[in-house]
Amino acid sequence: MSDYLHKIAHCIEFGKINRQSPYPPNMKDQDGADEYTQQALQSGISAQHVLLHGLITGMEKIGKKFRENQVFVPQVLMSAKAMNTAMAHLMPYFSSGELKSKGTFIIGTVAGDLHDIGKNLVSMIMKGNGWNVIDLGMDVSTEKFMEAIQQHPDAVVGLSALLTTTMASMEQTVARIKAEKPATTVAIGGAPVSQAFCEKIGADVYSPHPQGLVEYLEKKNN
Amino acid sequence: METLTKMQLFERLRRGENPGRTIFSPILMHFAARHIGRTYGEFAADHKVLVEANLKALKDFDMDMVSLISDPYRETAAFGAGIEFIPEGVPRCLNNVIKTAADIEKLEIPDVYQHERTLDRIRGAEAYRRALNDEVPVIGWIEGPLAEACDLAGVSDMLMMLMMDPEASELLMDKCMEMAKTFARAQLEAGCHIIGMGDAVCSQIDAGTYENFVRDRQKEIVAYIHSLGGLVKLHICGNITHLLPAIREVNADIVDLDWQVGISEAHKILGNDVIICGNINPVTVQDLPADKVHELCRDLVMSQQNQKFILSAGCEITVNTPPENLVAMRKACQ
Repeated sequence: MSDYLHKIAHCIEFGKINRQSPYPPNMKDQDGADEYTQQALQSGISAQHVLLHGLITGMEKIGKKFRENQVFVPQVLMSAKAMNTAMAHLMPYFSSGELKSKGTFIIGTVAGDLHDIGKNLVSMIMKGNGWNVIDLGMDVSTEKFMEAIQQHPDAVVGLSALLTTTMASMEQTVARIKAEKPATTVAIGGAPVSQAFCEKIGADVYSPHPQGLVEYLEKKNN
Repeated sequence: METLTKMQLFERLRRGENPGRTIFSPILMHFAARHIGRTYGEFAADHKVLVEANLKALKDFDMDMVSLISDPYRETAAFGAGIEFIPEGVPRCLNNVIKTAADIEKLEIPDVYQHERTLDRIRGAEAYRRALNDEVPVIGWIEGPLAEACDLAGVSDMLMMLMMDPEASELLMDKCMEMAKTFARAQLEAGCHIIGMGDAVCSQIDAGTYENFVRDRQKEIVAYIHSLGGLVKLHICGNITHLLPAIREVNADIVDLDWQVGISEAHKILGNDVIICGNINPVTVQDLPADKVHELCRDLVMSQQNQKFILSAGCEITVNTPPENLVAMRKACQ
């Protein structure tokens, strides 16, 4: 693997955004994901390689560390910020068709739930793993999820709930999706949610960590 | 036979004496409001509803403590955020008070007696004192330094600020700490015996970040409350196993444990002086039939017989929990 790709993955894993960023302290005054991505593309490395072996590799590493409690939310947020900065340089390649996303992922917190930190983490990690993410935000009605599915019929849908009180909204949204669009893959997550609840409401997948969802979809697509 | 007040029961537990049965103190908010036919919005907006709801629950479920916990945005509102009350949901914070580092510099500690939301909680403490005459422990409530900083700046932005701008983070959390002390003092003076300090977001940060930014501020708040004669209940829901050694140094009198945390390990790390409160999964309390809830709670109570322990769910009892399941929890304490 090219040195540039290794450096991009490393910067994303450790949340080094760009040269100006003071984080992490041991990488101060060094180039970050921003600079290395530009340098990689300028040196002739294909956007596909940058995405696959730079961004996705970096996000996979941080996703696994998060799952294993080696890092926590602040570190993942920094990685996601570094990834977003790098991704900005790849956007023209998506627009031109040279790069293709792994699919579309629609995500939102269910109706009544205003806690978006988990939803944001999943959104960032999915984006970093090459998915086109449509983030509907917080307190999303079933209607709004249905409209998004209408526009993106092949999309995977992710529903997030932090409150036990909003688990009922999750159940309603899943029921409607499965009734009207049974082929849609529905993933659920959030503190009060469990595998048993996933089975009860007829969702397809539950994972306590974003990386679990990434790996489930990788397997499913292969 | 001598009949002890709930305060005397709690005092016995504190001193390490056998109170005769396990103390029962679930966290009630939305459930308590529904129990008296009111909405969560009314419960959060009006101390009269909050106190009435808790007193009814105290009676119906024979609880051993009452609380002023309602929502995270009392202090945030006093700092200047707009709050919208939702009939059947947690109040919403309409704007982040902190958007830039300059906002942190300008942020002033509000007068808790001047803002309606902080004053409302103080009035709640006074109402409990009138109703209970110091015979039942009353738990006031404050936001911990990181939780309040997140309420003011937004969770993601605050957590990134910890990484990117430690100096600004420290300044903001110092101001939040001062607010916590001021608000705690007002509630103690109004009649609270214990101050609950909610810092839930801490379960989402690593031990190093907790030690660098949060632990010493929580410790200072605890020491201040102790200096005023109050006790502290630290509430960080979620998995805090990785934080337990640092939490020990905070010197809280009661530590809430959520269901993800091993209670034996917590006793071992936190030591014998700390009262552990927990830790049944609230979803389990909601979903299981009453006899199963009783069985689960009884097993936990039995396992804690020689420990300083209060039976509760790991976090708030959900609004959809059947009341008979709370009765079953209380029965398990006998």
